[in-house]
Amino acid sequence: MSIDHTKCDITGMVERHIMIAVDSSDNARRAVLFVGDFFGCYEGFQVTLLHIILEPEATFFPNNDERQKWLTDKHTEAKKVMEEYKHILLDAGFPEDKVNVRIDTMRAPSVADCIIKEQEEMKCCTIVIGRRGISKKEEFIFGSTSNRIIHEAKKCAVLVIE
Amino acid sequence: METQAAQDKKPPYSFRQLQEMIAAYLGPDNVPQRFKIITDTSDFFQVDYNDVVILAGVPYLMRNYTREGRFGLDDEPKYWVRKAIDLKNREAKIIKLVFHEEIEARVGELVFKCVRSPGKEAAILEMVAGHSNFMQGIAIQDTAGNIVRILDFIQGKRFDELIFKLAANHEEFFYEHLPGYLAIYAEMVKAIGFLHEQGQKHGDIRRDHIMLDRKTGTYRWIDFDYDYYHAANMFGYDLFGLGNILVFLVGGGDITVQQLQAKESSHLETLTPEDMNIIFNNRVANIQKIYPYVPDALNYILLHFSNGANLYYENTGQLLADLEEVHINA
Repeated sequence: MSIDHTKCDITGMVERHIMIAVDSSDNARRAVLFVGDFFGCYEGFQVTLLHIILEPEATFFPNNDERQKWLTDKHTEAKKVMEEYKHILLDAGFPEDKVNVRIDTMRAPSVADCIIKEQEEMKCCTIVIGRRGISKKEEFIFGSTSNRIIHEAKKCAVLVIE
Repeated sequence: METQAAQDKKPPYSFRQLQEMIAAYLGPDNVPQRFKIITDTSDFFQVDYNDVVILAGVPYLMRNYTREGRFGLDDEPKYWVRKAIDLKNREAKIIKLVFHEEIEARVGELVFKCVRSPGKEAAILEMVAGHSNFMQGIAIQDTAGNIVRILDFIQGKRFDELIFKLAANHEEFFYEHLPGYLAIYAEMVKAIGFLHEQGQKHGDIRRDHIMLDRKTGTYRWIDFDYDYYHAANMFGYDLFGLGNILVFLVGGGDITVQQLQAKESSHLETLTPEDMNIIFNNRVANIQKIYPYVPDALNYILLHFSNGANLYYENTGQLLADLEEVHINA
């Protein structure tokens, strides 16, 4: 489905395009529920549910079969949660044609980089993301996707859902 | 990577020929009467001392396995990493056989899954060929398709062993030796930056993974086969390792609470939890509190690796930029 974030309807209203960056965690689910609660009853919003599967280098796996299995498992898991998230948004009042589902497999130094790249391409005006609530130690070693998005995303609003 | 998988599995040397080559290296009186000729290294436990492993047509005489301290265990044998002799040119080599291992790495209280990836190390070896700050070698597939790494043997000491006993006390070490070692450290950080720019991580940055190559006089990173799944920041663990090395270097060794307690040091009264290493909470990161002559610019870098840090380095460029601001004047 093609996405036009600035599409105007006959009343001249600009359609807002919200991206919800998700995975299969509880915090991602909370982000979806938040968007449903806050925006579901209004017109003029389009939502893209984005699930990034960050694919490790092929050398991470002992062989190609393991790699394929890893990718298949991740895709199956992602499709399952995306179906659930889509229903949450539809139940909250979003029209079916205003909810886009996108699962991307990418290689990059961080998930945040992929989310920002997608946001720029789709020209979404808002990124909504759940926060994992990781410890300072974990953030130090492994980084924080939500923090990185807050710092790196440009020309858009960022909502971090606790 | 060269491949031998498609080649004839029949060894290209006879037992007699190999005995002659071994005699040329060990002397005629020391030639083993029985040894295996191996072209498939899948079961590395079957590769014994004095066996000959043939890789891409080159026979290697197997010597002892190596050892390494890891996760608090000292001198764990690495049966898949063997000292060897290239029987064609008699050069010493390190041969790393394939060992697909999944490890629960523990760093302080954090536990995460690591894998040993021969393919990653092979890719990095190709990437760093000719780079003076990395170990050198090639990767070959044996007849079973195992990615075997054949590494140049580095004659020399570990980086961390070099900095001890250089001076009578810390202050002398700090002014006389540290500036030189900081320059070496910056060179090693740049080398890691070189990997990161090409989308690779070292994966196991530790102070005993830098070796001084006596032959060339350069310092080299070793052991690139560790890999882990990253999500938010691919390079965070490498930067953590670089930070630990710097704290160790500036302190002239680790400064631990236990050491200070043993010395009944008055510094214990002034140290707060914020001054300690963010992961290893018994190590002091705010070294200026112990040695007040550590300049602010240098201590500022160290504080990025402390419990009190609110800002972390995300790439080697940020760390290098701060290192350039450091000037040690007696």
